[in-house]
Amino acid sequence: MRRCSAGLAAAIGALVLIGQQSDPAAQRIQQGGALTIGAVIALTGNANLYGQDQRLGINLAQRWFDGRPRTAGSPAPPRLRLQLEDGGSDEATAIAGFNLLINGGALALIGPTLSQQAFAADPIAQRLGVPVVAPSNTAQGIPQIGHYISRVSAQSSVIAPLSLEEALRRDPSIRRVAVFYAQDDAYSTAETEIFQEALAARNLNPVTVQRTQLADNDFQTPITAALQRNPQLVVISVQAVAGGNLIRQLRELGYRGQIVVGNGLNTPNIYPICQRWCDGILIAQAYSPDLDTPINRTFLRLHQGVNPEQPPSQMTAQAFTAYQVLAEAITRLQQQGRLQGANLGQARSRLMQELLSGSYDTPLGPIRFRADGEVLQDRFFVAEVRMQPDGRRGRFALVRDLSLASKPATSPPERGSP
Amino acid sequence: MDVLLQTLLNGAAAGGVYALVALGYTLVFSVLGVINFAQGALFSLGGYLTYLLMGGHISVSGGLPGWGLPIALPFAAALLLAAAGAALLSLLVERLAFAPLRRRNAEPLLSLITSLGAGLVLVNLLQLLMGAEGYAFPAGSLAGLPAVVSLGGARIRSVQVLLLLICAAVVLLLTLWLEGSRGGRALRAVAEDPTTARLLGIDSDAMVRLAFLLSGALAGLGGGLVGVSVSLPGPYFGIGYGLKGLTVLVLGGLGSVPGAIAGGLLMGLAEAMVPSGASGWRDALAFAILFVVLLLRPTGLLGRRLVEKV
Repeated sequence: MRRCSAGLAAAIGALVLIGQQSDPAAQRIQQGGALTIGAVIALTGNANLYGQDQRLGINLAQRWFDGRPRTAGSPAPPRLRLQLEDGGSDEATAIAGFNLLINGGALALIGPTLSQQAFAADPIAQRLGVPVVAPSNTAQGIPQIGHYISRVSAQSSVIAPLSLEEALRRDPSIRRVAVFYAQDDAYSTAETEIFQEALAARNLNPVTVQRTQLADNDFQTPITAALQRNPQLVVISVQAVAGGNLIRQLRELGYRGQIVVGNGLNTPNIYPICQRWCDGILIAQAYSPDLDTPINRTFLRLHQGVNPEQPPSQMTAQAFTAYQVLAEAITRLQQQGRLQGANLGQARSRLMQELLSGSYDTPLGPIRFRADGEVLQDRFFVAEVRMQPDGRRGRFALVRDLSLASKPATSPPERGSP
Repeated sequence: MDVLLQTLLNGAAAGGVYALVALGYTLVFSVLGVINFAQGALFSLGGYLTYLLMGGHISVSGGLPGWGLPIALPFAAALLLAAAGAALLSLLVERLAFAPLRRRNAEPLLSLITSLGAGLVLVNLLQLLMGAEGYAFPAGSLAGLPAVVSLGGARIRSVQVLLLLICAAVVLLLTLWLEGSRGGRALRAVAEDPTTARLLGIDSDAMVRLAFLLSGALAGLGGGLVGVSVSLPGPYFGIGYGLKGLTVLVLGGLGSVPGAIAGGLLMGLAEAMVPSGASGWRDALAFAILFVVLLLRPTGLLGRRLVEKV
């Protein structure tokens, strides 16, 4: 009996030892070894258009960080290894990507692309104590998932109404507004609520609200119905390609008034779709290529190297920023010697503290974090799309550079992000 | 009145495309008794081929950024060549996904899965090559056509009218060929009874290949037409049309050519009739129609009841 108990105890001890050895959080950080930053972004599925922009941003940030000149006498920067996983455009794939990277020993994660995915995958990282920086989740409540979750993407409740203000500033006589949104898309329905509340606050009730579907590209019927109400302003909350088609068909069918669009169209990928008809649309942005700061000039130069055709999108800039804040926080940790002798779990915890305590000069402008991980960004922009005469290329031309109080809006609520 | 006319034209144009896709399914189903799930992918391929043949270039996130064919054909020629390309690829799908299983007398369900796999591979290859971005055809693709035409007071995009006319012409030509030509009759004979057709000297394997060629061409045509009408929203865009075509196939009656045409038009018109404020419920309506029709007529609108001899 005694022999049996001793055997059982030895077996349990061995299992505990094996368990500890296989728990990546328990493993020591190797001095001088590469630290892994994982990224889970949508490279397939409906959101892959955004994921492509994000991949580009992260790769540029990696190039920027690795190529930074070292000042004499300063310690060597940490060796960072980027591991990219396709998060698809659904929750299950994002969860699988998070699990893979966390179990593979990632120090921190960037992603996922969509807020809906974040609500599913972020709790896993939170439970295991892995810092997450979201580059594009704009839904209310993302940082509140837990203290390991942060984001660099400001809520669209802060940004979206700015473009509406610009349209009304240009033409104060506007009274008739038509609203279009994709009713089967959480981001679009959330954003249209923000737009419609902003309209109501200005005593402008939409003369028509046209509900479309995410996969729609032929808008002849809803446009015909809307134009019968003679709108002076059209406000659109749909995803990029559908939005490009909608704008093109609106113009083709004779609409000549102003068009305000939401964050889903915050990508140059709409240019090839609506071509010369994109010209003049108004959009509020968290990033402007026209921002004249050293880091943004560097970012633009790097982007020019891989895509000389068009300036970077907001998604690319935000993804760059996500990698940048992580890389800078890790560098500070290393310089303070706080990674020395730490295991991965301790390093993750210290990184999160460092990340939230720092301030960062990014292509988005100066940013910092609130204690709960919410981004604090002062500068936002209103841009107007200006297309070149060939109708194939264009740019988001800055029309307003707005400094807001650096606090995130708490209302109205949102549910989704592109 | 003008609103009704506009609605009818919108519905007929959409219905024409659905009919093209459903006809592709019908041809394969009638000769093999299986559904070719790669049809949606061939639809996407037709759109991209038309774009490239018209001088379009691959975007920066594609596999060959900036690459384009050294030619820029007019739309009509590009559309026909794209249809031919999709037809050839459809033949390849038949060779790879259907023929090996047919030789082994495998369950039809297996062919369904292999065709689904072939379709997914095709769409992913498209994404690898072309990237995820949307592509639109150049603004002057339909040179000489005004952007909008007025018909009886209704303003409709001229590309919609063109789409409707081309779909109608293709459907008419295909029906005439099936009814009146030697090849068409042979295809129908194989569809009716492959064993008897073989006894009568008809090469049923050749007819299967012909069915795949034609169905691929129809998908390619549909993809090119939708591409010029709206845009190419991404490599997956054909999958949605493929699913709608499948609905139309069942609605019209499995294997029935007139059923596919009638089903397509009914579906297109019903979708267009949905009040604009509730247009987000269009797909729900489409499947509600299917549900009601199948309740009343389990064989579809024009399908025939099959009697199995025991």
